[in-house]
Amino acid sequence: MRVLVTGSTTPLGTALVDALLAARDVELVLATGVEREPPRPIGPRFVYRAVDLRHPRALHDLLWDTARECGIDAVIHGMQHRRSGDRGPRVHAQNVDVTRGLVLGCTHHPTIRRLVYRGFGEVYALRATSDLLDEEEPLDFSANAPQWVRDRVEADLTVCAHLAGGLQIAVLRCAEILAPNTGSQLWDYLGSRVCLRPFGFDPMLNVLSVEDAVAAFIAALRSSEIGVFNIPGCDTLPLTRAIVESLRADIPVPGSLMAPLYGLRRWIAGFDFRYDMNVRRFHFGGVLDGTRARSVLGFTPRTPVRWPRPWWHLLIERLGAERESADQGLRPDPRNLPDRAPTRTTR
Amino acid sequence: MDATTYTRIVTKAPFHDEGYGFDVFGLHPPALASVVSASAPIYERYFRVDSAGAERIPKRGPAILVANHGGVLPVDAAMLCLDVLRRTDPPRIPRAVADQFVPGLPLISTLFARFGVVGGTRANVRRLLERDELIAIWPEGVSGPAKRFRDRYRIQNWRVGFAELAIRHRAPVVPVAIIGAEESWPKLASLRRFHMFGVPYLPIPATPVPLPVHFHIQYGEPLYLDRGLGPSDADDPGIVAAAAAQVRAAVEQLVDDARTRRRGVFR
Repeated sequence: MRVLVTGSTTPLGTALVDALLAARDVELVLATGVEREPPRPIGPRFVYRAVDLRHPRALHDLLWDTARECGIDAVIHGMQHRRSGDRGPRVHAQNVDVTRGLVLGCTHHPTIRRLVYRGFGEVYALRATSDLLDEEEPLDFSANAPQWVRDRVEADLTVCAHLAGGLQIAVLRCAEILAPNTGSQLWDYLGSRVCLRPFGFDPMLNVLSVEDAVAAFIAALRSSEIGVFNIPGCDTLPLTRAIVESLRADIPVPGSLMAPLYGLRRWIAGFDFRYDMNVRRFHFGGVLDGTRARSVLGFTPRTPVRWPRPWWHLLIERLGAERESADQGLRPDPRNLPDRAPTRTTR
Repeated sequence: MDATTYTRIVTKAPFHDEGYGFDVFGLHPPALASVVSASAPIYERYFRVDSAGAERIPKRGPAILVANHGGVLPVDAAMLCLDVLRRTDPPRIPRAVADQFVPGLPLISTLFARFGVVGGTRANVRRLLERDELIAIWPEGVSGPAKRFRDRYRIQNWRVGFAELAIRHRAPVVPVAIIGAEESWPKLASLRRFHMFGVPYLPIPATPVPLPVHFHIQYGEPLYLDRGLGPSDADDPGIVAAAAAQVRAAVEQLVDDARTRRRGVFR
């Protein structure tokens, strides 16, 4: 299997490239990103191209020159603009036009047979009764939805429109990946000392770890099944419990105050969290139903997320892990050490 | 608080924990057990709930309780859920299916979710039946509590969705009659223009609190609506309507029998 990965310099893309290179049945990984530096050293099985896919010519050349030469037979498209506050035609081009161009290019490509598209659970229109969201739930077509959501709905539908064609397409509508630098709204929300939430509501949330997202993409890559699949994570819990897990203070406030307070916070401190994007989720929840992914792709989430805990707690955890390893006469395994403190996305 | 009831529900009731002590719909057994044990005086002494036939509820596997509905607020639903929890062994947590507007109500939506109430969508109910849970449905919906006092115990608009689910998922339907709710808290009037939080109307009760009416709950024999049918027959509107009518007739019969048997509203 020879795989093209877009957006390879993101945390998800980097983890995906590493997992693909660790798989024996993957002969070559062609990764792309806008950064000049590749996410890992170039090797015999790893090729990196720094390319801005928003330019149609660059996308065309990537598919019909490099990808054809490499004999790429599968594409994982995970490139989406991450910051919620950015908008305009350039963001739309990255989110939608690149996806459209890539799907059309893959449809007529001589070697590419399969496309795995990273969709988003945020495309669903949340309603009061939608505790569980299966693949048949209506999508959010509201005109007042932020561009972040509208672009994702448009890109999702663009891919879905080609499901009946010759290209094998799997759309993975992933739950929110709770990790730094992934564009996670919850990560940013839980990163502040005090978490406000609408009074009287404690919705159920589901979050996905990077490890599980990677496992889902690889399962979809190895399968020949076509269609839309919800990819939930293994952490399903109420919002208040997520706040407790992150060791933050939970303060319920009247719902009408949430938007101005978070708007002010965003304006002053430059946080990425937008309450208007999360208002329905913070009232009604909505957990992706992963039955189809489990039965068709064989994907079951197994890895819990790492909560965005304060720096002092992470330091204590790290010191504890180091001391435990020293007691056993071992060097600590860096993979088992807690992550660094949550980073904030600034404007 | 009744410690035995609490322990029984927390330790014995089957429950699909998603890892943090909650199921995917927000059910939290300790919260449910607390309210069940705390409400024992209301169940035992105030309403003196008297039930018969609880042994007809399947001990395991998917099943649907279908009952009549009345009263200003869903006191009948609460009494049925309490009765099922107390009279089944091991206790089965009834997953009451609420009307569309309930999950949008502040505080109530969260409390109901912790007690096992779910929104009535196809995906929600399918997941519950696939996980062998016990569902409680009031097919009259809002039309049951909205009816006039003189129409009490007359089945109103009878939805058929439960019959489709029962056929598709091969779940037995247990018809249930609840007697007492209509007299316990009669409705004086309705403010039809009040739609805050999506409520269909605002009921004005005739009394500030429910009257201590003697509640009777009667469970009927389980009905196997899927007998001789396949899951695809659930798509046939005629078959579904006939199955729903069969359950309606069974509930009406149970209601009539129970009303005939009772000696008085408060006795």
